[in-house]
Amino acid sequence: MCKVPALQIMATEPKLAPIRKGLLEFLVLKIVGAKSVYVPDILRQLAGTEFATQEGTLYPLLSKLRREDLVQYEWKESDAGPPRKYYRLTDTGRAQLHALNEYWTLINRTIANFGH
Amino acid sequence: MQRIATTVRLNRSVLQFDDAAHTRLEQYLAESASLLEGDPDPQEILADLEQAVADQCARRLRPQQTVVTLAELEPALEEIGSLQAPGGESAANHAMRETATLNLQQLSEGAVISGVCAGLARRLNLNVTLLRVVAVLLLLGTGGAMVLAYLSLMVLMPYAPLQPGGAPIRWLPSKTRAFMEFVRAKLGVDQPSNVTA
Repeated sequence: MCKVPALQIMATEPKLAPIRKGLLEFLVLKIVGAKSVYVPDILRQLAGTEFATQEGTLYPLLSKLRREDLVQYEWKESDAGPPRKYYRLTDTGRAQLHALNEYWTLINRTIANFGH
Repeated sequence: MQRIATTVRLNRSVLQFDDAAHTRLEQYLAESASLLEGDPDPQEILADLEQAVADQCARRLRPQQTVVTLAELEPALEEIGSLQAPGGESAANHAMRETATLNLQQLSEGAVISGVCAGLARRLNLNVTLLRVVAVLLLLGTGGAMVLAYLSLMVLMPYAPLQPGGAPIRWLPSKTRAFMEFVRAKLGVDQPSNVTA
């Protein structure tokens, strides 16, 4: 069986778009949780994965996460250009990420257990 | 005299744009602002977006080049993409759907007289034909009372925004709607009219 074409079909399958969209928030929490990052760092990590994202999508999402008190940012000077916003998780954000991680593991186990 | 470039402040950066690029930039930012209608925090997102445009354009300038043209701006905007609300639904659409499902509104599309029955049927999840049959039976049974009830609902229920590409509107409902909107405007009653998606 050839695996690559199947994966390519999945990337354009419209049924899966809502799944990726829904998981993006989880993934952004994961990335921000690993270390304090600014937006181009996040984009770089997502690029080349199924979750490749544009700034136009990320800013509204980060704004929502900040409003929900899951992430916060601080300004840091950069060597080139204006200061940058570095995002990190709040305590609430960390708790939520932990809960999401456990839930994700649970869902995966459930899915794997069906159809035998 | 010829204007060479416009200096633009984008959040924390200052850049020069030629006329064509400046027009395109204004259009993109206006579009973005309208996409954020209903968002609780549009200023922050717009500031981030302006900074992104500035960074992306500055990165694309050749050495010695000081003025941003469409050759830099277009690929920059392409990479940034248009604003997407988290969850995939634009804030404006969301707000419209909320008011459409929460409020009791008259529906002009598919209406027979003014849209009271169509609106009630949608709000209460009833079959509209069944509701109309009941209304006619009540009209025959009670006479004037039903006419009064219909007229009061016609006055009280606001009209739902017209859906572009929705079902066609019959002659009578369109006249009734125009008349009611005229009356409401005269009386200064709020009518969220003709919001299009």
